[in-house]
Amino acid sequence: MSMQSETLVKADIELRHVQKSFGSVDVIHGLDLTINGGEFVVFVGPSGCGKSTLLRMIAGLEEVTDGDILIGGRDVTDSDPARRGIAMVFQSYALYPHMSVKDNLAFGLKIAHTPPAEVEARVGAAAEILKINHLLERRPGQLSGGQRQRVAIGRAIVRKPLAFLFDEPLSNLDAELRVSMRIELARLHRELGNTMVYVTHDQIEAMTLADKIVVLRDGRIEQVGTPRQVYEDPDNMFVAGFIGSPRMNFLAARLRDRRTVEVAGASLALAAELGAAPGDIQFGIRPEHLHPGAERPGAIAARVDFSEYLGNTRYLYCVTGSGETVVAEQRDGDDFEPGQPVWLGCEPSQMRLFAKTGERLR
Amino acid sequence: MATETLTTASSPRPTRNPRRRPGRRQLVGLLFVAPALLLVVAFFVIPLGMTAWMSLHNWPLLGKSSFIGLGNYEALLADGRFWSAMRFTLYYTVVVTVVIFAVAFPLALFVERQRPLAGFYRTIYFLPVVVGFGSASLLWAWLMNVDAGLFGPALQQLGLTEKRINILSSFDATFWSVIAMVVWKTSGFTMIILMTGLQGIPTDLREAARIDGASRPQLFTRITLPLMRRTIALALILSVAGSMLAFDQFYIIAQGGPRNTTLTAVYWIFNSSFVSFRMGYGAALSMVLLVILLAISVVQLRILRTHEGI
Repeated sequence: MSMQSETLVKADIELRHVQKSFGSVDVIHGLDLTINGGEFVVFVGPSGCGKSTLLRMIAGLEEVTDGDILIGGRDVTDSDPARRGIAMVFQSYALYPHMSVKDNLAFGLKIAHTPPAEVEARVGAAAEILKINHLLERRPGQLSGGQRQRVAIGRAIVRKPLAFLFDEPLSNLDAELRVSMRIELARLHRELGNTMVYVTHDQIEAMTLADKIVVLRDGRIEQVGTPRQVYEDPDNMFVAGFIGSPRMNFLAARLRDRRTVEVAGASLALAAELGAAPGDIQFGIRPEHLHPGAERPGAIAARVDFSEYLGNTRYLYCVTGSGETVVAEQRDGDDFEPGQPVWLGCEPSQMRLFAKTGERLR
Repeated sequence: MATETLTTASSPRPTRNPRRRPGRRQLVGLLFVAPALLLVVAFFVIPLGMTAWMSLHNWPLLGKSSFIGLGNYEALLADGRFWSAMRFTLYYTVVVTVVIFAVAFPLALFVERQRPLAGFYRTIYFLPVVVGFGSASLLWAWLMNVDAGLFGPALQQLGLTEKRINILSSFDATFWSVIAMVVWKTSGFTMIILMTGLQGIPTDLREAARIDGASRPQLFTRITLPLMRRTIALALILSVAGSMLAFDQFYIIAQGGPRNTTLTAVYWIFNSSFVSFRMGYGAALSMVLLVILLAISVVQLRILRTHEGI
């Protein structure tokens, strides 16, 4: 347990050409990724993209087929999970049902023959941080979902790890609790300052918690960046479509010259000259950047299919002249009736253009 | 249970949908359990009552029976042969249960995980279980036969023994051979029960313990075993109850020998009832055995009772 006494708590995690196959099926295809010490990194992606597998490989619960994993500068590729200096919080909490909360927290320390006084102190400190002091004598079966989650996080804190790993920790909680635990996790990261790696399919969790988001698809990294970067400056159509709800609209378009694009019958001027040859492209625009209104130049003509009222905003589901569906956000003005014609205007700076193969045209 | 059914059926709640008839549903439910209930009554409750009734009589196989009150019970208290058979049965039960668990637990751990040929191993370990106890005993009686069998002659042929040894001539050899037979025949069953218990432990828990630094032995003693309490209780009670009722193997292989040292309680009941034709006395012995077995089971359940939430 020499790791525990080290002063360095902000450990870098480095993945070097990490690969994983189950039999002949490749699930992770040679990933390179550097997570800086103290960063909160979130892996997002659709189910089956390999985000959980990648986390489990960092934890040492899944063998690495090829490549290296370094935690705090030390090669841990073939190390035991317990010797990597990590702590993991599972989706199912994975609390030991036959032990009291206190024993759950102390289990790892007792296994490592930590002196009883220190066990007591560390368990007390973790319970303090998570406000679970009054639950210490209870068993997991007597706790609510949120309380179990706190205990699971407490068990991780007690280990004083170099890095925390979270595997969809909030998915089993109801919506309200999820929001409050999310805020609590952010607070925890601020207080502890450890490196944290967090897997989720919930993009709100990803956007709100992450210093850095890693978008994964089919075992490959699609983009790494801050929440703002992946939202506002996506590298490709997949990231643009995956991040954001409702998702970005994609319309078939034609680049007429380097400054003009034709979309659904409208001819739109671009903000900057494009370094791509004229031809068929994909035009992307987020719903909040489409402004419904009366007929005007530079606006896309469409017909309202139906309108969704959400209280603070409205979403108009429209069909363009070419039969494509677009969603536009309407913040003010009168309601549109289904079937009513509408013109959707957009700022040139909000347009995102993609090649037919999916990558961003800049 | 029947009265409960009737009361809920006769007081339908006015707030409920009037078209729903709870009475009929309950009746249908009763209809479904009726066959099982009928079997239990016909083959357990009635024979039990008859045995209790017989135990209060002097009941020869032929001729008239006469009521003697607790006479049979008084006689069995002084029956040294019965109590020594009881002692032997307890000794056998303890030994065979320990050995079965010692064999079945590693097998369960081995076949529990998904590995190549896991299904094959599960099948071959379980296979002897489907052999009847009588047939298995007959097979082993032949294997242990001093002249035509396998063990004695084979040991001699291999030069391990100078002359041909009769396994059935000494208590220890007989006893341990029967233990070997029973373990061969029943550990597959215990293995399957324990395996389901092992599979019931979420993998997350083991992984969490691995991250907490638990070694394999620690994982087993601190996580696996405590979480298998219920399963172990079930396997233990089945094994103990089965062993307390041991009869076929000792009757077929050793005929209670050598010198009646392997007479079990049930064997003695059988002798009293169907060799000496003292049916009433045999019935009294059976009742006593039932009470002892019940007591043992209650004690085991109490010891292995699980805490809340497990």
